[in-house]
Amino acid sequence: MKQLIKIAWRNILKHKGKSIVIGTILFLGSFLMTVGNGVISGMDKGLQKNIVDKYTGHIVLISSEQQEDNVIFSQMGKPVEIIEGFDGIKKILDANNLIDKYLPVGKEFVMLFNEDGEPGYTLIMGVDFVEYQKMFGDNIVAEEGNLLKKNERGVLITTKQREEFYDYYNYWCVPENSQAVEKNLSEDAKLNVKNLNIKRDIVFMGFSEKNSALDIRTKIKGIVKFSSLNSIWGHINFCDIESFRECFGWVTSNDINAELSKGQQTLLNIDESNLEALFGGNMETIEDNTPHKNLPEDPSKTDSVKPNSFKNQADTGVRDSGAYNIVFIKLKKPEDIDKTIKELSVKINELKLKCRVISWKKAVGQIADIAAIIRAALFGFVMLLFFVAIIIIMNTLSMTALERVSEIGMMRAVGASKGFISGMFVFETAILSFIFGGSGIIAGIITTEIIAFQNITTSNDFLQLLYGGDSFMPLLGAGDVAAGIIQLVIVTILSMIYPVLIARKITPLDAISRE
Amino acid sequence: MILRAFSKALIFTWQFSGLMHPDLNITLFSNYVRRLFNDVIYEGETMSLIEMKEVLKDYPLGKTIVKALRGINFTVERGDFLSVVGASGSGKTTMLNIIGCIDAPTSGTVKIDGNDITMLNDKELTKLRLYKIGFIFQTFNLIPVLNVRENVEFPLLLMKDLSKSEIRARAEKFIEAVGIKEFIKHRPAELSGGQRQRVAIARSLATNPDIVLADEPTANLDSETGESILELMKNLNEKEKTTFIFSTHDQRVLKYAKHIVRLTDGKISD
Repeated sequence: MKQLIKIAWRNILKHKGKSIVIGTILFLGSFLMTVGNGVISGMDKGLQKNIVDKYTGHIVLISSEQQEDNVIFSQMGKPVEIIEGFDGIKKILDANNLIDKYLPVGKEFVMLFNEDGEPGYTLIMGVDFVEYQKMFGDNIVAEEGNLLKKNERGVLITTKQREEFYDYYNYWCVPENSQAVEKNLSEDAKLNVKNLNIKRDIVFMGFSEKNSALDIRTKIKGIVKFSSLNSIWGHINFCDIESFRECFGWVTSNDINAELSKGQQTLLNIDESNLEALFGGNMETIEDNTPHKNLPEDPSKTDSVKPNSFKNQADTGVRDSGAYNIVFIKLKKPEDIDKTIKELSVKINELKLKCRVISWKKAVGQIADIAAIIRAALFGFVMLLFFVAIIIIMNTLSMTALERVSEIGMMRAVGASKGFISGMFVFETAILSFIFGGSGIIAGIITTEIIAFQNITTSNDFLQLLYGGDSFMPLLGAGDVAAGIIQLVIVTILSMIYPVLIARKITPLDAISRE
Repeated sequence: MILRAFSKALIFTWQFSGLMHPDLNITLFSNYVRRLFNDVIYEGETMSLIEMKEVLKDYPLGKTIVKALRGINFTVERGDFLSVVGASGSGKTTMLNIIGCIDAPTSGTVKIDGNDITMLNDKELTKLRLYKIGFIFQTFNLIPVLNVRENVEFPLLLMKDLSKSEIRARAEKFIEAVGIKEFIKHRPAELSGGQRQRVAIARSLATNPDIVLADEPTANLDSETGESILELMKNLNEKEKTTFIFSTHDQRVLKYAKHIVRLTDGKISD
């Protein structure tokens, strides 16, 4: 062993040029691999931190009727199915020890009405905003105006959406009782600052392929911005849950208990497949003088709402403590996602609840996909480095083996076994790998720390995904460093296999023939 | 003799008894049995150190076959000082390579100290070279990254059955014997051709081999150095009873030889 190491070390020193070439490749390879691992890990952690902590939680509960898992950025016009029986769901969520907190919300596309032009569309999330802040912290900051207070009605428009509204519909949203702030104007808006069409409230109406309900005018309470990934999440505006329910016709249980007139009852009992009957000559004229008489004066006091099917509600007589279509769930331990999904699914099945639970990645759909693609691309890049490093090192070592036919052949002639020759090459490569690869890993760790310390930020969509947030925070844990060492060992082993095979095949006769 | 006849009969019976599955490699298996009995057969028997019987060696050269050896039969006894002479291409080096277990005959048998080398695998041949054969080559000689002492110690370290002090003592003894003690820490690049050849001789002798094969050992040496090296080998042959086999063109070598084998076109002519 000592002799092997001695010969290997002296050969390294003797063939300095080749050693430096191999060493440099190993250094650069392990350096880039380490930094790459840091970026991948940072991105993972960043996504976890930003999406899970600030937007979705670890698990998302949706209706069992919901076909697509991607409920956050769903296709326009495709409604996210309403979760029925939230009372029962709430019980199992409260009883589960793995769950830290949860937040039910309503999220849908709404149609924007514009008195001065074409109607538009946007995404809106109806929440109890105070509860939202408890769940997701300070991920939303008011750039103008205020955030929603407890039981306050109103809408929060994101900066991104405000700019898009201006671009598409030619109005500039500002919070009620305020003026346009020049420094916050978009580049286009600045050009038209004197003739800006200012809007302090917004009219929107629930809109989907299944229904279109009430149009409601809501005051803009604030212009907000997400603390990270604003370019992605900034498509979602916020409003209070009651306004949301109203515009989608998710009526309260007070509505359910309303005494319906004979005409209303007849209407409800019409077979959906025979809607033409509504327009038939025998149809009774409906006089509904109390369209919203059962809505509570203070909607925040409503504790029972139900989706917009009066008929089903009347049939089942179920009373819900709230109508939502998404429940975000945060766990005490992030690693318990699968376990919790399993536990909840069992309970849901047992109690025959009409819902199901999915991971946050499924819920955000293409965002997680894009992140996974970027991650795969980075991983592919690291693998490409791997491959190139292996080829170059393999080639250089093979050349070294062929140049040393006389020496190796002579060693074999005087009694060195094939194992000894293999060992010589293994030690040579291992020593180079240890010195240069190890230095590369250390340099990678230091560089990663320096980059993280620099707090590089970006507003670019792609880079935000790449960074896992708006700041570039590569992160190296012990596992990542271990992965880097394993990758280095794999590169070393793979790159030495072929040269070792060449060296093992060298016979004393080859040496003599060469001489 | 009885034992040998018995083993042959056993092999024959084994091969043709039909007990073996036809898919089995009969040759390999019978070789194994023969090797198993090899030691038993030759143990205690008086035998030649080297025995070559009907050795043929062909080399393919493009589409033609070069017949390097065409039926060599000869024996070498322990303590011989044999010179193999012949014109270039007569088969001297090929013969030495086969005796040194670094080449295999196309056909025929070669026994080194009773071991049929055609039956041995690479591991066994390596061991045979390490323990029984010393090499002194014409040009490729030493490990460039090791100094004189380390080069001489190299095969001793491979043996793995000697203590560190024993290895050191043996190496120094032979380095002193070849007269290069003052260069003990020099690397090959810092030595003259003659000095390198002396190191190679010291290395080949340090393992106490039965046979030292020297392929034109004086070819690259001036006459004075050549003479001194031959003198050294002669002394070692007489003192240690080491068998030396030279291949040479050099007429000076011949006067040291106890026996001379002359090769012509791959055959022993004298």
